[in-house]
Amino acid sequence: MAQIKLDIFRYDEAVDAVPHRDTVEVDVPVTTTVLDALETAKAEVDGSISFRRSCRSAICGSCSMNINGVTGLACKTPCKSVMNDQGVIQIDPMPNFQPMKDLVVHMDPFWDKYTRLKPYLQPADRDEDHETERRVSPADMKKLVDAANCVMCATCYALCPVVSVDPSFAGPAAIAYAYRFIEDVRDGKKKERLAQINEDYLWLCAHCYACSYCPKHVDPHDRIVDVKRATIQEGVMMNHPGPRHALVVNKTIKNTGMLAETEVILGTVGRFNFRGLLKIGPQGLRMAIKGKMPPPFLKPIPKADEVRTIFESLEVPT
Amino acid sequence: MSSTLLPEEQATDSHRHSKSSEMRRYGFFPGCVAKESCKELFNSTMLLADKLGIELIELTAASCCGASVVNDTNRDIARVLNARTYAQAEALGLDDVITICSTCTGHMRAANKELLESDERMNQANSILGKFGAKYEGSVMVRHLLWLLIDDIGLDKLSSMVVRPLNGLRVAPFYGCHIIRPEKVNGWESARNPHSLEDVITAIGGEPVDYAGKTRCCGFHIQLEKDGVATSMVGQNMRIAKDRGAEAVITPCPLCHLALDAYQQDAAARWGRTDLPTFHLPQLVALALGVPAEKLGLNKHLIDPRTILVERELIA
Repeated sequence: MAQIKLDIFRYDEAVDAVPHRDTVEVDVPVTTTVLDALETAKAEVDGSISFRRSCRSAICGSCSMNINGVTGLACKTPCKSVMNDQGVIQIDPMPNFQPMKDLVVHMDPFWDKYTRLKPYLQPADRDEDHETERRVSPADMKKLVDAANCVMCATCYALCPVVSVDPSFAGPAAIAYAYRFIEDVRDGKKKERLAQINEDYLWLCAHCYACSYCPKHVDPHDRIVDVKRATIQEGVMMNHPGPRHALVVNKTIKNTGMLAETEVILGTVGRFNFRGLLKIGPQGLRMAIKGKMPPPFLKPIPKADEVRTIFESLEVPT
Repeated sequence: MSSTLLPEEQATDSHRHSKSSEMRRYGFFPGCVAKESCKELFNSTMLLADKLGIELIELTAASCCGASVVNDTNRDIARVLNARTYAQAEALGLDDVITICSTCTGHMRAANKELLESDERMNQANSILGKFGAKYEGSVMVRHLLWLLIDDIGLDKLSSMVVRPLNGLRVAPFYGCHIIRPEKVNGWESARNPHSLEDVITAIGGEPVDYAGKTRCCGFHIQLEKDGVATSMVGQNMRIAKDRGAEAVITPCPLCHLALDAYQQDAAARWGRTDLPTFHLPQLVALALGVPAEKLGLNKHLIDPRTILVERELIA
């Protein structure tokens, strides 16, 4: 047994103007989970400490919180792995959410993003017109299993740096879960789903891999990339900056071997999008004054034809 | 500093050349940005290599690593482009490929991992490389200059080479995502609590600033996607660094550098003025090792780093 000091964020939106912190000491084995330590604190010391929990086995996804500044499931985090030399563990509500009471946050924005992407099957025809059950081969199902393992704990959403500055981004979990339906052979709304997810800023994913700490190993980033590829293959929303950017980068590499910065900027914003170009103008000017403009035209790398061969051998015909 | 070898490195270690101290030739992959808008990074890397007594042999026919964007459309192309680069390194007898960009590091290592873990993918790559007479044997290891400084030069040696210590300049490290995450691809140090940049800052006489933004994203990859998002990500991180007492920032990634250097001004409306000058990793190390400041391209930065260097009496 050890003395563990839980340094807990305390706040009740109904009565408190500002949050404060309480330190609660509990006597538990160091191998106990942070969730069990919190349960002990609530049962033995202060019954008013509020947090969400249910299964205690990383299946329900309820107990995601910030533990020493790192978001994760309290039921999957042993105290031993996070307490400092003095036995202190700092516990805060998930970032990127509005706190409600102590470690409980308002989850509504997170659920709204799921709902917008219609997280249920929408087959092309009615069940009664179908002679047999809708079958999915093991190979087709295998593609969906990882994404379907999501327990909606919102850990990835709390970790996402894009969400933290712009809540209009759908966030990793919702996009990964949309993938689960986009790639389901029984679903008939692929294009509509892709269009919606593009509206919800699919291409705002910054490739930062903060969501790679998924407690259920869904790896939302890789699913986001899958959805981007599907968008391009299906030719959805091709006039948006995201797909334009992807295509112009590929084009410059195919032609020169290099990512030609000037052409990529013009191609992404749109060569004839005068308002867009005007917006990035001041930045470009500041860089030009410092002699930091990329060259307008790039000399291809030696043996650039080899690069073209690679592209031509592997491009999927559209 | 202990480093963890990835399975790919353990697997290939036995038939790699020994990395003994007398062998100091490296394949060098500068990446597109160091050849285009951040030429000062390329130049300061070469000047630093001179000081360190190592030879960086540029892979001049190498293509872009794919920069995460090729992967967005076609994973196979991104992988085979890098296989071509590795084949070029092998043909020159170089199995150590050094990068100076976090995004290059992450994507090249990911491609290499995929190739080394699957015969099917390696065969696919070689069947295409074969069309122009190239072949990748699988002996290449991709590492960032930052790791070379620590693993091959060593912090003690680096420290002993310093002729112009930074006088306790308070420098905030900014890692850039792809040099640390995902851990299964990089894994050279903890992605949640890395300290290689801090160790280098200390070795050259600076004082590292600990702040929550150091492992966060600069937003570079989405700068043209929606107004203000990348700007705000920069502002948020630089605000935290400034509030923790940083006087300057150091980054191993030119994409982070472009974002941090260019967007602080526009972020001021939401996050307040920060104006933290940002150094490329080799610029600040080269400065401490005695490379004249005027050779490091410091005049190319939008937020002039020379002001703080003059204040700290590091340059005249």
